[in-house]
Amino acid sequence: MNLIAAGWWIAKKDLRAYFRDRTGLMLGLLLPIALVTVFGMVMKFAFGGGSGMPKVELWVVDDDDSETSRRFVSALRDVGMVTVRPRPGDAPTTADRVRQRVADGEAHHGLIVGAGYGESVTTGKEPQLVLVRDAGRTMESRLVGIAMMQATMAASEGKSMPWLLASMMRRQGMSEDGVARVRAAMEMVQGVIDRFVGGDADLRAPEKAPAANFDMASMFEGMVPVTHENVQPPSRPKNLGYQLAQSVAGMSVMMLMFGLMACSVTLLQERDQGTLRRLLVSRAPRASLLLGKFLLCVLIGMLQLVVLFAYGEMLFGVGAFRDPLTLLVLSITWAAAATSFGMLIAVWARTQKQAEGLSTLLILVMAALGGCWFPIQIAELPWWADLVTHATITHWAMTSFQGMFWSQKAFTDPVMLRALGVQWAFAAVATAIAWRLWQRRFAGG
Amino acid sequence: MVVAGDDLLTIESLGYRYGERVAVRAASLTCRRGEILGLLGPNGAGKTTLLSCVSGLLAGHDGVMTFAGTPFRPATDAAARARLGLVPQDLALYDDLTARENLVFFARLQGVPSGKVSGAVDRALALAGLADRADDRVRAYSGGMKRRLNLVVGDLHEPELLLLDEPTVGVDPQSRNHLFESLQALRQGGRTLIYTSHYMEEVQRLCDRVAVMNDGAVVAIGTAAQLAERAGTPGADLERVFLTLTGRSLRDDP
Repeated sequence: MNLIAAGWWIAKKDLRAYFRDRTGLMLGLLLPIALVTVFGMVMKFAFGGGSGMPKVELWVVDDDDSETSRRFVSALRDVGMVTVRPRPGDAPTTADRVRQRVADGEAHHGLIVGAGYGESVTTGKEPQLVLVRDAGRTMESRLVGIAMMQATMAASEGKSMPWLLASMMRRQGMSEDGVARVRAAMEMVQGVIDRFVGGDADLRAPEKAPAANFDMASMFEGMVPVTHENVQPPSRPKNLGYQLAQSVAGMSVMMLMFGLMACSVTLLQERDQGTLRRLLVSRAPRASLLLGKFLLCVLIGMLQLVVLFAYGEMLFGVGAFRDPLTLLVLSITWAAAATSFGMLIAVWARTQKQAEGLSTLLILVMAALGGCWFPIQIAELPWWADLVTHATITHWAMTSFQGMFWSQKAFTDPVMLRALGVQWAFAAVATAIAWRLWQRRFAGG
Repeated sequence: MVVAGDDLLTIESLGYRYGERVAVRAASLTCRRGEILGLLGPNGAGKTTLLSCVSGLLAGHDGVMTFAGTPFRPATDAAARARLGLVPQDLALYDDLTARENLVFFARLQGVPSGKVSGAVDRALALAGLADRADDRVRAYSGGMKRRLNLVVGDLHEPELLLLDEPTVGVDPQSRNHLFESLQALRQGGRTLIYTSHYMEEVQRLCDRVAVMNDGAVVAIGTAAQLAERAGTPGADLERVFLTLTGRSLRDDP
């Protein structure tokens, strides 16, 4: 037999085996379709503003409730770079609730439009605006600053420009030279606008270079005079940026699921290699087999998390071991929830191919929706998609780990307790279902 | 008082079906204490299914089982399972562990007291002839060595009844002889064995009595001589007896 004929027969045999496991085959084909769908939708909602920038969620309280303030909030809604909450038609929120949301890490920016805003704008005075924020979210702060500037200009129908500039200069204590720089900045703004609107603007660097210390973004951010209320926890490491905390937490949450999935399928390996029969005939209670696999996965999961966090601590100084008890509680909780998920897949699947196909599909989708890859809050999701993200167990794992890393919360904090409670509830339900399936498919005969 | 020759396991009208397919139909037999009872039948005759019901791997069967005169429900009763040992047809071993590690693990799981584990493991290694390779990973063993280890794992806790499901499949003649010697040694030690096989010569050589299975039913049970008489072929070998009793050869496809 020649080489090609032999190769064809081998391929044909493998194809026959491959197509025989129909569920595994379907999952394998479904995986890329599901991923393209989920990521496409998330990216569409995240970067769908046309500017290519993610949207920042901004909770707004209009305590003035004047025509001007309503126009300001409406103009904010029209700015592509922020998503104003509450949505139109939702019940308005209060300043205290917004402060609490930011403090809890559920929102990173809140804007309180104080009473008298409208009168101040129309009389050329500085309006009362309070921005509640986590100062560590620098990128979002700048976007909010730019959005407020645009909205202020729109709401005042251009009347605010003189006081905006005057206010800014007064606060900055700028010299005439500084004023000139501001003008240069405005010219640059015009250039940026031309780029977006015209598309054929001259993109070359200006002939006259700006001053060396010119920072356009920070200047925009500070154009609208606001009082800042910072809620950054004092214990957070200074070098810990939000994106870094997000990455460490996200990768830890996602990779643990992959790691534990590999542990869970040892149950299928026991069956395939014949040892399961021997274990089932032994004197040991049959529940102990599932318990043993559960313990294995939780312990390996804990080890994996400790190694990951130790590495993150060593390399980035993420402050993982600042509160060891909270770290322990969070790690055990997530290891238990992820293990339950893995066990459920393992007892459901008829073959390892099915288990690997379904788990890869679910883990990647849940990781994306739960915010492991990037902060899902930047996506302006419709209500149903928002509901779906909250239904993923990864969302609650991320809430707890980001609560620890970024908001520096202890596990006793109500936000953390809620996230931990959801994970334990998931673990309990998934384990109960896995147990039923185990009895039916493995232990019950 | 326990006496050799007493009925140890009694099966009455045991039936089991996989969906619509009947695998065992109204099987009845008795296994006496201290004997080797052969279950003889071609592939698909229902031997493994019958053993799976006896070992508790399959629940939901018809019929009744008693063990030493008391009701026997191994599928739901761990204490009942403790009276059994199983040597499955597949090599049920952990390749990445050594023979000693495998034995210690299964001994613990079978409830061998901590102080007796070491002795049980050494005894098993000696019986399998693997004492000098005890600390090698099973992955490195030959097929025959794995078969021998597979056998002694089932007997670690010295069960009253040892169930052997075609333990010589794929074994070379030398290892087969070693297995037979091990089984004879177990029998001499007072162990009761149920041995399934579709190899006539094995059953003839090893077993005190033989239950002939065909198409899910036990069609006859007795010593080789009794079976030959019943088949109307006194003095004939088991091959001919089987053909007469079932109308088919052991080598036929089911």
